[in-house]
Amino acid sequence: MLKSKLTKMKIVKIIVLVLLVAFVGIQFVPTERNQSDVVPKTDFMLVNDVPKEIENKLQVSCYDCHSNNTAYPWYNKIQPVAWFMEDHIKKGKEELNFNEWADYSDRRKKSKLKSIISQIKDDEMPLSSYTLIHKDASFSEDDKKKVITWLTQLKDN
Amino acid sequence: MRKLKLSMGILAIVFATLTVASCKDAKKEQNNEEEHQSEMSTEENHSEMNHDNSDGHHDEEATHDNSDGHHDGDSAEMTSEARDIAVSTQKNGATSAIIDAYFQIKNALVTDSKENAAKGGTALLAAFSKFDMKTLTDGTRQEYMEIAESAKEQAEHIVENPIDHQREHFETLSTDINDLITLLGTDKTLYLDYCPMKKVSWLSETKDIKNPFYGSEMLTCGNVKKQIN
Ligand code: HEC
Repeated sequence: MLKSKLTKMKIVKIIVLVLLVAFVGIQFVPTERNQSDVVPKTDFMLVNDVPKEIENKLQVSCYDCHSNNTAYPWYNKIQPVAWFMEDHIKKGKEELNFNEWADYSDRRKKSKLKSIISQIKDDEMPLSSYTLIHKDASFSEDDKKKVITWLTQLKDN
Repeated sequence: MRKLKLSMGILAIVFATLTVASCKDAKKEQNNEEEHQSEMSTEENHSEMNHDNSDGHHDEEATHDNSDGHHDGDSAEMTSEARDIAVSTQKNGATSAIIDAYFQIKNALVTDSKENAAKGGTALLAAFSKFDMKTLTDGTRQEYMEIAESAKEQAEHIVENPIDHQREHFETLSTDINDLITLLGTDKTLYLDYCPMKKVSWLSETKDIKNPFYGSEMLTCGNVKKQIN
Protein backbone atom coordinates (compact mmCIF):
# COMPACT_ATOMS: atom_id res chain seq x y z
CA MET A 1 0.00 0.00 0.00
CA LEU A 2 2.49 2.50 1.24
CA LYS A 3 4.94 1.43 -1.39
CA SER A 4 2.59 1.96 -4.30
CA LYS A 5 1.70 5.36 -2.97
CA LEU A 6 5.37 6.22 -2.94
CA THR A 7 5.89 5.13 -6.52
CA LYS A 8 2.86 7.11 -7.57
CA MET A 9 4.32 10.19 -6.03
CA LYS A 10 7.56 9.44 -7.76
CA ILE A 11 5.82 9.21 -11.10
CA VAL A 12 4.03 12.48 -10.54
CA LYS A 13 7.30 14.12 -9.63
CA ILE A 14 8.99 12.75 -12.72
CA ILE A 15 6.18 14.04 -14.89
CA VAL A 16 6.38 17.47 -13.32
CA LEU A 17 10.12 17.46 -13.82
CA VAL A 18 9.84 16.47 -17.46
CA LEU A 19 7.29 19.19 -18.03
CA LEU A 20 9.48 21.74 -16.35
CA VAL A 21 12.51 20.72 -18.35
CA ALA A 22 10.43 20.84 -21.53
CA PHE A 23 9.14 24.28 -20.59
CA VAL A 24 12.67 25.51 -20.04
CA GLY A 25 13.86 23.80 -23.21
CA ILE A 26 11.31 25.40 -25.48
CA GLN A 27 12.32 28.83 -24.27
CA PHE A 28 15.49 28.37 -26.28
CA VAL A 29 13.69 27.65 -29.52
CA PRO A 30 13.94 30.82 -31.53
CA THR A 31 10.80 32.43 -32.87
CA GLU A 32 10.65 35.12 -35.44
CA ARG A 33 9.67 38.47 -34.02
CA ASN A 34 7.29 40.65 -35.96
CA GLN A 35 8.78 44.03 -35.18
CA SER A 36 9.38 47.16 -37.14
CA ASP A 37 9.84 50.66 -35.88
CA VAL A 38 8.95 52.36 -39.08
CA VAL A 39 5.33 53.01 -39.86
CA PRO A 40 5.18 52.92 -43.65
CA LYS A 41 3.46 55.72 -45.54
CA THR A 42 0.93 53.21 -46.78
CA ASP A 43 -0.44 52.56 -43.28
CA PHE A 44 -4.20 52.60 -42.85
CA MET A 45 -4.02 55.32 -40.19
CA LEU A 46 -1.86 57.59 -42.34
CA VAL A 47 -3.89 57.42 -45.53
CA ASN A 48 -7.29 57.68 -43.88
CA ASP A 49 -8.57 60.38 -41.61
CA VAL A 50 -9.22 58.11 -38.64
CA PRO A 51 -10.73 59.50 -35.43
CA LYS A 52 -8.37 58.98 -32.49
CA GLU A 53 -10.73 56.67 -30.64
CA ILE A 54 -11.16 54.34 -33.61
CA GLU A 55 -7.44 54.41 -34.34
CA ASN A 56 -6.66 53.32 -30.79
CA LYS A 57 -9.19 50.54 -30.84
CA LEU A 58 -7.97 49.08 -34.11
CA GLN A 59 -4.35 49.42 -33.15
CA VAL A 60 -4.77 47.72 -29.79
CA SER A 61 -7.13 45.03 -31.09
CA CYS A 62 -5.87 44.23 -34.57
CA TYR A 63 -2.35 45.49 -35.22
CA ASP A 64 -0.65 42.71 -33.27
CA CYS A 65 -1.61 40.24 -35.98
CA HIS A 66 -2.37 42.49 -38.93
CA SER A 67 0.63 44.79 -39.18
CA ASN A 68 4.42 44.59 -39.32
CA ASN A 69 4.70 45.54 -35.69
CA THR A 70 3.46 43.40 -32.84
CA ALA A 71 3.56 44.67 -29.27
CA TYR A 72 5.53 42.22 -27.15
CA PRO A 73 4.62 42.42 -23.49
CA TRP A 74 6.49 39.75 -21.48
CA TYR A 75 3.79 37.12 -21.87
CA ASN A 76 4.00 37.34 -25.64
CA LYS A 77 7.70 36.49 -25.42
CA ILE A 78 7.32 33.30 -23.44
CA GLN A 79 6.84 29.97 -25.18
CA PRO A 80 4.44 28.59 -26.16
CA VAL A 81 2.62 31.95 -26.37
CA ALA A 82 5.26 33.26 -28.76
CA TRP A 83 4.66 30.33 -31.12
CA PHE A 84 0.96 30.85 -31.01
CA MET A 85 1.50 34.51 -31.87
CA GLU A 86 4.01 33.74 -34.61
CA ASP A 87 1.57 31.46 -36.36
CA HIS A 88 -1.33 33.89 -36.10
CA ILE A 89 0.75 36.82 -37.24
CA LYS A 90 1.88 34.95 -40.33
CA LYS A 91 -1.65 33.97 -41.31
CA GLY A 92 -3.15 37.25 -40.18
CA LYS A 93 -0.77 39.36 -42.25
CA GLU A 94 -1.45 37.29 -45.32
CA GLU A 95 -5.12 38.10 -44.97
CA LEU A 96 -4.80 41.73 -44.05
CA ASN A 97 -1.90 44.04 -43.36
CA PHE A 98 -2.98 47.48 -42.19
CA ASN A 99 0.54 48.77 -42.88
CA GLU A 100 0.11 48.08 -46.60
CA TRP A 101 -3.34 49.58 -46.95
CA ALA A 102 -2.54 52.20 -49.61
CA ASP A 103 -1.00 49.50 -51.81
CA TYR A 104 -4.29 47.63 -52.02
CA SER A 105 -6.39 48.26 -55.11
CA ASP A 106 -9.68 50.07 -54.54
CA ARG A 107 -11.47 46.81 -55.15
CA ARG A 108 -9.38 45.10 -52.48
CA LYS A 109 -9.87 47.96 -50.00
CA LYS A 110 -13.62 47.59 -50.38
CA SER A 111 -13.64 43.86 -49.95
CA LYS A 112 -11.27 44.07 -46.98
CA LEU A 113 -13.43 46.70 -45.30
CA LYS A 114 -16.41 44.47 -45.85
CA SER A 115 -14.59 41.52 -44.24
CA ILE A 116 -13.31 43.65 -41.38
CA ILE A 117 -16.80 44.89 -40.61
CA SER A 118 -18.31 41.43 -40.70
CA GLN A 119 -15.51 39.93 -38.59
CA ILE A 120 -16.02 42.55 -35.90
CA LYS A 121 -19.80 42.34 -36.11
CA ASP A 122 -19.79 38.56 -35.69
CA ASP A 123 -17.20 38.64 -32.88
CA GLU A 124 -14.82 36.56 -34.99
CA MET A 125 -12.05 39.11 -34.70
CA PRO A 126 -10.02 39.65 -32.64
CA LEU A 127 -9.59 35.90 -32.08
CA SER A 128 -11.08 34.83 -28.77
CA SER A 129 -7.91 32.90 -27.91
CA TYR A 130 -6.15 36.24 -28.09
CA THR A 131 -8.62 38.38 -26.12
CA LEU A 132 -8.35 35.77 -23.37
CA ILE A 133 -4.97 37.27 -22.47
CA HIS A 134 -5.34 40.67 -24.11
CA LYS A 135 -8.44 41.87 -22.35
CA ASP A 136 -8.14 45.40 -23.71
CA ALA A 137 -8.39 44.07 -27.27
CA SER A 138 -11.98 42.91 -26.92
CA PHE A 139 -14.85 45.04 -28.17
CA SER A 140 -17.72 46.29 -26.04
CA GLU A 141 -21.06 46.70 -27.79
CA ASP A 142 -20.43 50.43 -27.82
CA ASP A 143 -16.96 50.01 -29.37
CA LYS A 144 -18.41 47.73 -31.99
CA LYS A 145 -21.09 50.20 -32.96
CA LYS A 146 -18.69 53.12 -33.23
CA VAL A 147 -16.04 51.26 -35.17
CA ILE A 148 -18.51 49.59 -37.53
CA THR A 149 -20.34 52.85 -38.23
CA TRP A 150 -17.11 54.56 -39.10
CA LEU A 151 -15.77 51.71 -41.23
CA THR A 152 -19.07 51.45 -43.10
CA GLN A 153 -18.86 55.13 -43.96
CA LEU A 154 -15.33 54.65 -45.24
CA LYS A 155 -16.41 51.67 -47.32
CA ASP A 156 -19.38 53.43 -48.89
CA ASN A 157 -17.79 56.61 -50.09
CA MET B 1 15.88 16.72 0.52
CA ARG B 2 17.80 15.89 -2.60
CA LYS B 3 14.65 16.27 -4.61
CA LEU B 4 14.00 19.63 -3.12
CA LYS B 5 17.45 20.70 -4.21
CA LEU B 6 16.77 19.37 -7.66
CA SER B 7 13.52 21.27 -8.04
CA MET B 8 15.16 24.42 -6.73
CA GLY B 9 17.85 23.96 -9.34
CA ILE B 10 15.30 23.60 -12.07
CA LEU B 11 13.42 26.64 -10.92
CA ALA B 12 16.65 28.55 -11.00
CA ILE B 13 17.20 27.45 -14.58
CA VAL B 14 13.71 28.56 -15.47
CA PHE B 15 14.37 32.01 -14.09
CA ALA B 16 17.75 32.19 -15.73
CA THR B 17 16.21 31.38 -19.08
CA LEU B 18 13.53 33.94 -18.74
CA THR B 19 16.08 36.52 -17.70
CA VAL B 20 18.28 35.71 -20.65
CA ALA B 21 15.30 35.87 -22.95
CA SER B 22 14.26 39.27 -21.71
CA CYS B 23 17.84 40.53 -21.80
CA LYS B 24 17.97 39.76 -25.48
CA ASP B 25 14.91 41.89 -25.98
CA ALA B 26 16.23 44.75 -23.92
CA LYS B 27 19.31 44.83 -26.07
CA LYS B 28 17.25 44.78 -29.19
CA GLU B 29 15.08 47.56 -27.96
CA GLN B 30 18.13 49.68 -27.22
CA ASN B 31 19.46 49.14 -30.70
CA ASN B 32 16.22 50.29 -32.09
CA GLU B 33 16.04 53.45 -30.10
CA GLU B 34 17.32 55.54 -32.93
CA GLU B 35 14.68 54.24 -35.24
CA HIS B 36 12.09 54.91 -32.61
CA GLN B 37 12.78 58.55 -33.02
CA SER B 38 12.15 58.43 -36.69
CA GLU B 39 8.87 56.81 -35.88
CA MET B 40 7.99 59.72 -33.65
CA SER B 41 8.70 62.21 -36.35
CA THR B 42 6.57 60.17 -38.68
CA GLU B 43 3.74 60.68 -36.29
CA GLU B 44 4.30 64.37 -36.11
CA ASN B 45 4.03 64.57 -39.84
CA HIS B 46 0.81 62.73 -39.70
CA SER B 47 -1.36 65.31 -41.38
CA GLU B 48 1.21 66.25 -43.94
CA MET B 49 1.68 62.66 -44.97
CA ASN B 50 -1.98 62.35 -45.22
CA HIS B 51 -2.05 64.91 -47.99
CA ASP B 52 0.93 63.46 -49.75
CA ASN B 53 -0.60 60.15 -49.86
CA SER B 54 -4.04 61.05 -50.90
CA ASP B 55 -2.51 62.99 -53.73
CA GLY B 56 -0.68 59.95 -54.94
CA HIS B 57 -3.86 58.06 -54.63
CA HIS B 58 -5.78 60.46 -56.80
CA ASP B 59 -3.23 60.21 -59.53
CA GLU B 60 -3.66 56.54 -59.53
CA GLU B 61 -7.35 56.87 -59.71
CA ALA B 62 -7.18 59.27 -62.62
CA THR B 63 -5.31 56.76 -64.73
CA HIS B 64 -7.96 54.11 -64.25
CA ASP B 65 -10.75 56.52 -64.57
CA ASN B 66 -12.81 54.27 -66.79
CA SER B 67 -12.83 51.55 -64.19
CA ASP B 68 -13.94 53.81 -61.42
CA GLY B 69 -17.58 52.89 -61.49
CA HIS B 70 -16.90 49.19 -61.27
CA HIS B 71 -14.95 49.56 -58.13
CA ASP B 72 -18.08 50.08 -56.21
CA GLY B 73 -19.05 46.82 -54.66
CA ASP B 74 -22.20 48.39 -53.39
CA SER B 75 -25.09 46.31 -54.53
CA ALA B 76 -27.33 49.18 -55.49
CA GLU B 77 -24.68 50.54 -57.78
CA MET B 78 -23.95 47.14 -59.12
CA THR B 79 -27.56 46.88 -60.07
CA SER B 80 -27.74 50.19 -61.84
CA GLU B 81 -24.55 49.31 -63.61
CA ALA B 82 -26.21 46.26 -64.98
CA ARG B 83 -27.92 48.50 -67.48
CA ASP B 84 -24.63 49.08 -69.22
CA ILE B 85 -24.00 45.39 -69.42
CA ALA B 86 -26.73 44.69 -71.93
CA VAL B 87 -25.38 47.45 -74.12
CA SER B 88 -21.68 46.79 -73.87
CA THR B 89 -21.40 43.05 -73.47
CA GLN B 90 -19.08 41.65 -76.07
CA LYS B 91 -19.33 38.06 -77.21
CA ASN B 92 -16.33 36.53 -75.57
CA GLY B 93 -15.90 32.83 -74.90
CA ALA B 94 -12.64 33.31 -72.99
CA THR B 95 -14.48 34.02 -69.76
CA SER B 96 -16.66 30.90 -69.97
CA ALA B 97 -14.57 28.62 -67.74
CA ILE B 98 -14.48 31.27 -65.02
CA ILE B 99 -18.23 31.86 -65.23
CA ASP B 100 -18.94 28.11 -65.18
CA ALA B 101 -16.89 27.69 -62.01
CA TYR B 102 -18.73 30.64 -60.48
CA PHE B 103 -22.03 28.88 -61.25
CA GLN B 104 -20.71 25.71 -59.67
CA ILE B 105 -20.25 27.66 -56.44
CA LYS B 106 -23.58 29.41 -56.82
CA ASN B 107 -25.51 26.20 -57.38
CA ALA B 108 -23.78 24.53 -54.44
CA LEU B 109 -24.83 27.40 -52.18
CA VAL B 110 -28.38 27.15 -53.53
CA THR B 111 -28.44 23.54 -52.34
CA ASP B 112 -26.69 24.39 -49.05
CA SER B 113 -23.68 22.24 -49.91
CA LYS B 114 -20.49 23.48 -48.32
CA GLU B 115 -18.48 20.65 -49.91
CA ASN B 116 -19.60 21.37 -53.45
CA ALA B 117 -19.08 25.09 -52.97
CA ALA B 118 -15.52 24.32 -51.90
CA LYS B 119 -15.06 22.22 -55.05
CA GLY B 120 -16.40 25.12 -57.09
CA GLY B 121 -13.86 27.37 -55.39
CA THR B 122 -11.06 25.05 -56.47
CA ALA B 123 -12.48 24.98 -60.00
CA LEU B 124 -12.59 28.77 -60.06
CA LEU B 125 -8.96 29.03 -58.99
CA ALA B 126 -8.04 26.62 -61.78
CA ALA B 127 -10.08 28.58 -64.31
CA PHE B 128 -8.29 31.80 -63.39
CA SER B 129 -4.88 30.20 -63.63
CA LYS B 130 -5.76 28.84 -67.08
CA PHE B 131 -7.04 32.19 -68.32
CA ASP B 132 -4.88 33.50 -71.12
CA MET B 133 -3.76 36.97 -70.15
CA LYS B 134 -2.25 37.50 -73.60
CA THR B 135 -5.74 38.07 -74.98
CA LEU B 136 -6.06 41.20 -72.87
CA THR B 137 -5.44 44.65 -74.22
CA ASP B 138 -3.34 47.22 -72.39
CA GLY B 139 -6.56 48.96 -71.47
CA THR B 140 -8.11 45.98 -69.74
CA ARG B 141 -5.10 44.20 -68.26
CA GLN B 142 -4.75 46.28 -65.11
CA GLU B 143 -8.38 45.99 -64.20
CA TYR B 144 -8.50 42.32 -65.06
CA MET B 145 -5.62 41.72 -62.66
CA GLU B 146 -7.39 43.54 -59.86
CA ILE B 147 -10.60 41.62 -60.45
CA ALA B 148 -8.73 38.32 -60.67
CA GLU B 149 -6.76 39.03 -57.52
CA SER B 150 -9.92 39.72 -55.58
CA ALA B 151 -11.91 36.84 -57.09
CA LYS B 152 -9.13 34.36 -56.35
CA GLU B 153 -8.97 35.56 -52.79
CA GLN B 154 -12.71 35.02 -52.39
CA ALA B 155 -12.36 31.57 -54.00
CA GLU B 156 -9.63 30.58 -51.55
CA HIS B 157 -11.88 31.50 -48.65
CA ILE B 158 -14.77 29.60 -50.19
CA VAL B 159 -12.57 26.51 -50.38
CA GLU B 160 -11.68 26.67 -46.71
CA ASN B 161 -14.62 27.97 -44.76
CA PRO B 162 -18.03 27.01 -43.32
CA ILE B 163 -21.06 27.88 -45.38
CA ASP B 164 -22.05 31.21 -43.84
CA HIS B 165 -18.53 32.42 -44.46
CA GLN B 166 -18.62 31.02 -47.99
CA ARG B 167 -21.76 33.03 -48.63
CA GLU B 168 -20.10 36.18 -47.38
CA HIS B 169 -17.25 35.74 -49.82
CA PHE B 170 -19.66 34.76 -52.57
CA GLU B 171 -21.20 38.21 -52.20
CA THR B 172 -17.90 39.92 -53.04
CA LEU B 173 -17.17 37.29 -55.68
CA SER B 174 -20.45 38.10 -57.43
CA THR B 175 -19.39 41.73 -57.73
CA ASP B 176 -16.04 40.64 -59.13
CA ILE B 177 -17.51 38.28 -61.70
CA ASN B 178 -20.11 40.85 -62.74
CA ASP B 179 -17.34 43.40 -63.25
CA LEU B 180 -15.32 40.86 -65.19
CA ILE B 181 -18.23 40.35 -67.57
CA THR B 182 -18.66 44.09 -67.94
CA LEU B 183 -14.98 44.37 -68.75
CA LEU B 184 -14.45 41.40 -71.05
CA GLY B 185 -17.87 40.17 -72.07
CA THR B 186 -19.33 36.69 -72.38
CA ASP B 187 -21.06 34.59 -75.03
CA LYS B 188 -23.53 33.17 -72.51
CA THR B 189 -27.01 34.35 -71.75
CA LEU B 190 -27.03 35.35 -68.11
CA TYR B 191 -29.31 36.94 -65.55
CA LEU B 192 -28.36 39.43 -62.92
CA ASP B 193 -30.54 38.75 -59.87
CA TYR B 194 -31.07 40.92 -56.86
CA CYS B 195 -31.95 39.94 -53.31
CA PRO B 196 -33.66 42.88 -51.58
CA MET B 197 -33.47 41.18 -48.16
CA LYS B 198 -29.71 41.13 -48.23
CA LYS B 199 -29.28 43.97 -50.73
CA VAL B 200 -26.91 41.89 -52.82
CA SER B 201 -26.74 40.77 -56.43
CA TRP B 202 -25.69 37.53 -58.03
CA LEU B 203 -25.48 36.06 -61.52
CA SER B 204 -27.46 33.10 -62.73
CA GLU B 205 -27.63 30.98 -65.87
CA THR B 206 -31.36 30.40 -65.43
CA LYS B 207 -34.27 32.77 -65.38
CA ASP B 208 -35.94 31.33 -62.25
CA ILE B 209 -34.76 32.71 -58.97
CA LYS B 210 -32.73 30.36 -56.80
CA ASN B 211 -31.20 32.37 -54.03
CA PRO B 212 -27.66 31.26 -53.10
CA PHE B 213 -27.48 33.52 -50.06
CA TYR B 214 -30.26 31.75 -48.19
CA GLY B 215 -30.49 28.40 -49.95
CA SER B 216 -33.42 26.26 -48.89
CA GLU B 217 -34.29 28.78 -46.18
CA MET B 218 -35.62 31.30 -48.70
CA LEU B 219 -34.97 29.81 -52.10
CA THR B 220 -37.10 32.06 -54.27
CA CYS B 221 -36.35 35.38 -52.62
CA GLY B 222 -35.21 37.93 -55.18
CA ASN B 223 -35.89 39.10 -58.71
CA VAL B 224 -34.23 39.32 -62.09
CA LYS B 225 -32.73 42.77 -62.60
CA LYS B 226 -31.24 42.33 -66.01
CA GLN B 227 -30.75 39.85 -68.75
CA ILE B 228 -27.28 39.77 -70.27
CA ASN B 229 -27.22 38.75 -73.95
C1 HEC C 1 -4.28 36.94 -32.49
C2 HEC C 1 -4.06 37.48 -33.78
C3 HEC C 1 -5.20 38.28 -34.46
C4 HEC C 1 -5.80 39.43 -34.02
C5 HEC C 1 -5.50 40.19 -32.74
C6 HEC C 1 -6.71 39.83 -35.06
N1 HEC C 1 -6.67 38.93 -36.09
FE1 HEC C 1 -7.72 39.04 -37.83
N2 HEC C 1 -6.91 37.26 -38.44
C7 HEC C 1 -6.00 36.51 -37.72
C8 HEC C 1 -5.73 35.27 -38.43
C9 HEC C 1 -4.79 34.17 -37.96
C10 HEC C 1 -6.51 35.31 -39.62
C11 HEC C 1 -6.58 34.24 -40.71
C12 HEC C 1 -7.91 33.58 -40.77
C13 HEC C 1 -8.24 32.75 -39.58
O1 HEC C 1 -7.45 31.89 -39.20
O2 HEC C 1 -9.34 32.95 -39.02
C14 HEC C 1 -7.23 36.57 -39.59
C15 HEC C 1 -8.10 36.98 -40.58
C16 HEC C 1 -8.73 38.21 -40.60
C17 HEC C 1 -9.56 38.69 -41.69
C18 HEC C 1 -9.92 37.96 -42.96
C19 HEC C 1 -11.04 37.02 -42.64
C20 HEC C 1 -11.81 36.51 -43.79
O3 HEC C 1 -11.97 35.30 -43.87
O4 HEC C 1 -12.29 37.32 -44.60
C21 HEC C 1 -10.01 39.93 -41.33
C22 HEC C 1 -10.90 40.85 -42.14
C23 HEC C 1 -9.45 40.22 -40.01
N3 HEC C 1 -8.69 39.16 -39.61
C24 HEC C 1 -9.69 41.39 -39.31
C25 HEC C 1 -9.27 41.61 -38.02
C26 HEC C 1 -9.63 42.78 -37.27
C27 HEC C 1 -10.50 43.91 -37.78
C28 HEC C 1 -9.04 42.66 -36.05
C29 HEC C 1 -9.16 43.62 -34.87
C30 HEC C 1 -10.48 43.89 -34.44
C31 HEC C 1 -8.28 41.42 -36.04
N4 HEC C 1 -8.45 40.82 -37.26
C32 HEC C 1 -7.51 40.96 -35.00
C33 HEC C 1 -5.43 36.87 -36.52
C34 HEC C 1 -5.77 37.96 -35.75
